[in-house]
Amino acid sequence: MKFINMPNRAMQKSDKKSNPFKASFTAQHVIEAIGQRISKPLTFMEVCGTHTVSIFRSGIRSLLPEELSLVSGPGCPVCVTDQGEIDCAIDILDMPQITVATYGDMLRVPGTKSSLSERKSEGKDVRLVTSAAQALSIAENNPEREVVFLAVGFETTAPATAATVLEAREKNISNFSILSYHKQTPPVLEQLVQDPDLKIDGFILPGHVSVILGHNAYRFIAQKYKIPCAIAGFEPMDILLAIADLVFQHANGQAVLHSLYPRAVRPEGNQKALSMIDRVFTPCSARWRGLGEIPLSGYMLKEEFSSFDTLLRFQITLTSPPPPAGCRCGDVLAGHIRPLECPLFAKRCTPMTPVGPCMVSSEGSCSAYYKYNRGGESPWKKSHLATEVADD
Amino acid sequence: MSLEKVTLGHGSGGRLTQDLIQVILSVFPKKNLTSDLEDCALIWEKIGVTIDSFTVSPRDFPGGDIGELAICGSANDLAVRGVKPQFITMSVVAEEGFHIDELTRYMKSASSICQKLGIQLVAGDTKVVPKGHVEGLFITTCAVGERVTPAPLGMNLLQPSDTIIVSTSIGRHGAAIGASRFDLNPEDLKSDCAPLWPALEPLLKIDGLRCMRDCTRGGLGTVMCEWAEGRQLGVTLSEEGIPIRSSVQSVCDILGFDPLYLACEGCAAIGVDPKDADKVLNILRENPLCQEASIIGSVTEEHKGMVALQTKIGGMRVVDMPVGEMLPRIC
Repeated sequence: MKFINMPNRAMQKSDKKSNPFKASFTAQHVIEAIGQRISKPLTFMEVCGTHTVSIFRSGIRSLLPEELSLVSGPGCPVCVTDQGEIDCAIDILDMPQITVATYGDMLRVPGTKSSLSERKSEGKDVRLVTSAAQALSIAENNPEREVVFLAVGFETTAPATAATVLEAREKNISNFSILSYHKQTPPVLEQLVQDPDLKIDGFILPGHVSVILGHNAYRFIAQKYKIPCAIAGFEPMDILLAIADLVFQHANGQAVLHSLYPRAVRPEGNQKALSMIDRVFTPCSARWRGLGEIPLSGYMLKEEFSSFDTLLRFQITLTSPPPPAGCRCGDVLAGHIRPLECPLFAKRCTPMTPVGPCMVSSEGSCSAYYKYNRGGESPWKKSHLATEVADD
Repeated sequence: MSLEKVTLGHGSGGRLTQDLIQVILSVFPKKNLTSDLEDCALIWEKIGVTIDSFTVSPRDFPGGDIGELAICGSANDLAVRGVKPQFITMSVVAEEGFHIDELTRYMKSASSICQKLGIQLVAGDTKVVPKGHVEGLFITTCAVGERVTPAPLGMNLLQPSDTIIVSTSIGRHGAAIGASRFDLNPEDLKSDCAPLWPALEPLLKIDGLRCMRDCTRGGLGTVMCEWAEGRQLGVTLSEEGIPIRSSVQSVCDILGFDPLYLACEGCAAIGVDPKDADKVLNILRENPLCQEASIIGSVTEEHKGMVALQTKIGGMRVVDMPVGEMLPRIC
């Protein structure tokens, strides 16, 4: 597929360094190999939101054979944060002398009545941070305020939150607490594979989470449920190789876990990070937006750190309000439908007027479908996407 | 248009900024507006004029400061329309408690760019507001100059098969600011903040030069969308052809940003008749600031109103205008 002829000399002066994981010549061979080995329709789930964005950004979908479908999974921390959890953060923000600090896209996620971003525009003190440590610094520098860190994310961000709680205790900082909405990846994957309505032929497993967890946490998917798995990095070539691996496993009648990201993931994971989580958190039941309550899929502070637990400090109980009418983010996160099948997609729900979190988050699958296909208008979609539009 | 409140997203270039502009323009009678939505307006077809406000955090960033930015930003808006920047007016809004030394330093930076370009500061205004009403310092500049080209440049001149060039590597200003804000310090990462006139003036004699655009807020991607949508023609870009420094790419990889949408402050997108593309490229590369000038794509009659990107692995995808602020990813 050649659309334009660019003079190669145009590149002579650019600052390009050789990176085998971005190489295009290898990509063509891998895509050819995938096409040759695929013998039946297959659906793979990329669990991680960063993978979803990388897949769209690199145009991988436009290169894959029509028999191969990719669906996005529940790996975007913004998308899986329950509406009640957002409402709770907003309720706390409305109390006097409160500062809420959190990560990027959390600001725009709609709660039942408002979002943190809207409350910020009304003068409430909401701070964007890139680490839990920054939230603690805000508390140290503003002793007159109560600083609440809205802690989201999977096994990747939980160790940093744990380290910050330990630091806050060591420094005896009393105006800092966390709303722990951290979630664990393996339990939600187990719920997905047990869903009789979900037909997933392989998982592209998240690279960052795997750096922490190592290999063993996912082996049950291949061993118990006989579904091939490939841990992947985030460059286009990483993802293509993972897709090829899953296709080859099917062609060979295998169902095993392969790590295609050995340059970052050690089999045993990051023991230091895991022990940090273990030191501060204990597994608990957690609410996932659209997926409901999943046992032992969250992290709550251990009793010895309860003074840093926002819910206990302010004596708040989480509620679970129904999602907005028509919003099918839950079905998108569970892989039951693709974003284009949601009746609100690109109609009532757009990046300008998001109804659900999957359209808000930069790593949300609805946002990616919208942005990289211009709301379904893209002329470069494969026929399986075109069918979805027709069905909509 | 459902726009109830102004959000930070309305200030980041892209689709929401366009919505906000439309809200403002909609109340003006059409006879009071020029139809020219380019970087600067041409009054009586001869005099170029533009206005821009500058607020940046941090005010001192790798490769420049707010004073330098305030002159380059407005002067570059003229330069890309073939207008020599000659006069500037400046309004300074400072917060109570702002250090005079710091203000003087920024004014010195602004002055040095004016001297380099032969720009005269002809009018100004100062305001001081109570602490907390603005964050430190806002500078607004209005640049004026005379058009040098025989005919006005503009995206209305773009034709199918025209070549698209960028004058240097993209995203350096946005990446430098992002890196400063999020405590990243990649080696060799500096803003591209610089005056474009010396590099662009020699191009103005080329017959096939169609239009140029300063890739500021919203970055190269937004400019390309504006050209495609404004002309109802397609634009096809080659990812392989777009120069991106490894330091910029590193920041994007860490924060989850797309370099196509990062602001530039010394980078022009240029549309040119293909017969003159090499000439443009060669002239640009004679300027030390444009060593990375590259052909990045072309205008097409296909996929009208849309921008396509041929990716490095050979895939195709749409480049759409960004919506809202670019926020760092979580994991």
